[in-house]
Amino acid sequence: MKARQNGRGSNDALDGCENDDPSGRLLAKVVPLNVRAREAKDRMTVVPARSSEWMRPVNSQEPASAIIEIDRVSQVFQTSARKDHLALSDISLTIEEGAFVSILGPSGCGKSTLLYIVGGFVRPTSGMAKIRGHTITGPGPDRGPVFQEFALFPWKTVLGNVMYGPRQQGVRTAEAEAQSRALIEMVGLKGFENFYPKELSGGMKQRVALARTLAYQPEVLLMDEPFGALDAHTRTRLQNDLLNIWERDRKTVLFVTHSVDEAVFLSDKVVMMSKSPGRIRQVIDIDLPRPRRRNELLLDPRYQKYVVDIERMFDESDEAGPFS
Amino acid sequence: MISSAVLTRRAAPVLACVGLLAVWQVASLALKNDSFPTAIEAIRAIPDILGDRESLTNILASLRRMAMGFGVAVLVSIPLGLLMGRSRGIAAFFNPLLMVIYPVPKAALMPIIMLWLGVGDATKTLVIFLGVSLPVIYHSFEGAKAVEEKMLWSGAAMGLSSAKRLVRIVLPVALPEILTGCRTGLVLALITMITSEMIARQSGAGNILFNALDMGQYDTVFAMIIIVGTMGICLDAIFESVRARLVRWSEPQFDMPLSFS
Repeated sequence: MKARQNGRGSNDALDGCENDDPSGRLLAKVVPLNVRAREAKDRMTVVPARSSEWMRPVNSQEPASAIIEIDRVSQVFQTSARKDHLALSDISLTIEEGAFVSILGPSGCGKSTLLYIVGGFVRPTSGMAKIRGHTITGPGPDRGPVFQEFALFPWKTVLGNVMYGPRQQGVRTAEAEAQSRALIEMVGLKGFENFYPKELSGGMKQRVALARTLAYQPEVLLMDEPFGALDAHTRTRLQNDLLNIWERDRKTVLFVTHSVDEAVFLSDKVVMMSKSPGRIRQVIDIDLPRPRRRNELLLDPRYQKYVVDIERMFDESDEAGPFS
Repeated sequence: MISSAVLTRRAAPVLACVGLLAVWQVASLALKNDSFPTAIEAIRAIPDILGDRESLTNILASLRRMAMGFGVAVLVSIPLGLLMGRSRGIAAFFNPLLMVIYPVPKAALMPIIMLWLGVGDATKTLVIFLGVSLPVIYHSFEGAKAVEEKMLWSGAAMGLSSAKRLVRIVLPVALPEILTGCRTGLVLALITMITSEMIARQSGAGNILFNALDMGQYDTVFAMIIIVGTMGICLDAIFESVRARLVRWSEPQFDMPLSFS
């Protein structure tokens, strides 16, 4: 995993000695075509771009560029009673490269639907979502989902699951296996490589799911209440581990949750949504230092204030509406 | 050292067979009916059948038709069932057709098929094919329908096309269910094999059985029943060992103790 440790988030001007593929893609926006062609070639071979080819610092040139743009997206579902239900109403949101953004809201506010639209799994009724300026028309390996339901391949072992994505993209078996073993170790599952998903606990399954998604090096992680099905203890451990992993390459993360603590603890930005129809209520920047340590943060008055403020805002909106 | 639980599990099927033969023997001796030979008489007739070249050719011909009908049915039915499970349009088209064919006893179609294809292999194989395909289609359909959407989304995000997802995700996930259908299909193949030969007597295990019945050779009749039954047990055992190997990942880890043990 060496290649990923020196990835994007760092602003070191000469940090390019082992640059990472996604960074290479970022370059495509600002560099001439011949480099683009080379990038395309790199993508075909899927090996992370080699050091010497990228000596120019990427990030300092284009700080905090938008990677995902959601433009006036609305989503209408037909309910079983054949009535139209407006799940999302006129959502516009821009997500910056390398940001950890949480979408926070009560259940049924359409926050997962919004994530699925970015994933390309669901087509919006109106409006559009874009990644790097390209309209999203379907799923792709640049956006890696992690679901609450894990959705692991049950007939594959832990190693088989993690290797699946790289193998699918043509990485040679030996290489895919080495990368996958390193990832499995990184998520703390060394020794479980040959276990089948049904032999793992919920927390372990979610670790596998995370490793499986990281394995094909998506530019954006789409996490759909990933820790929602886990017990409180496992949940905090996974939050900590996710932050540690994220600190290594600061991939863009879109994280859906209904837990205020979780959203504040993890995110740079919290998007608060309201229910029926799903609308963005407010976007709150979480200005807390990183790397974040749970034991320090819980005692930090700024953290506490964020949590309390956000909870109060949700309470107010509940009182304003009819009781249900 | 074999534990007593394992010993019980191994001995149980043998005990069941021996018990059945014992009950048969006693019942036959008690009834003293000419058309109900004792178990021992029936077993004694088995070597005569298996030693006879013509009988053996007949039985092998039966098995060949069965293998043919079963194999083709599985090859056609699994893809069809999977497609039906993943596409509402395809399911809506085929479902009514299958529902019409399902309850019709396939043997009842024999006379018509015989008019078209004669009394040879083609007719019998087709009937076996029909008998096998329906449960396999049905179980493949159910298995494919039950595949979690998010598993397919995960595959799509990795860049698998919808055709690849069908082969590389839906098929393996639905495999335990598909194999349940195949197992039912295997039993039905054996049944339709015998009934088809009962209707179109020309060759086969069923032919031996019903000819012996006509001639009042009851020990041969019952010997054939034992042979067909044994074929069933063996085929099922082979199938089960293949199945267990294919879907090891879905098997429960330990035998669940039953509530009364």
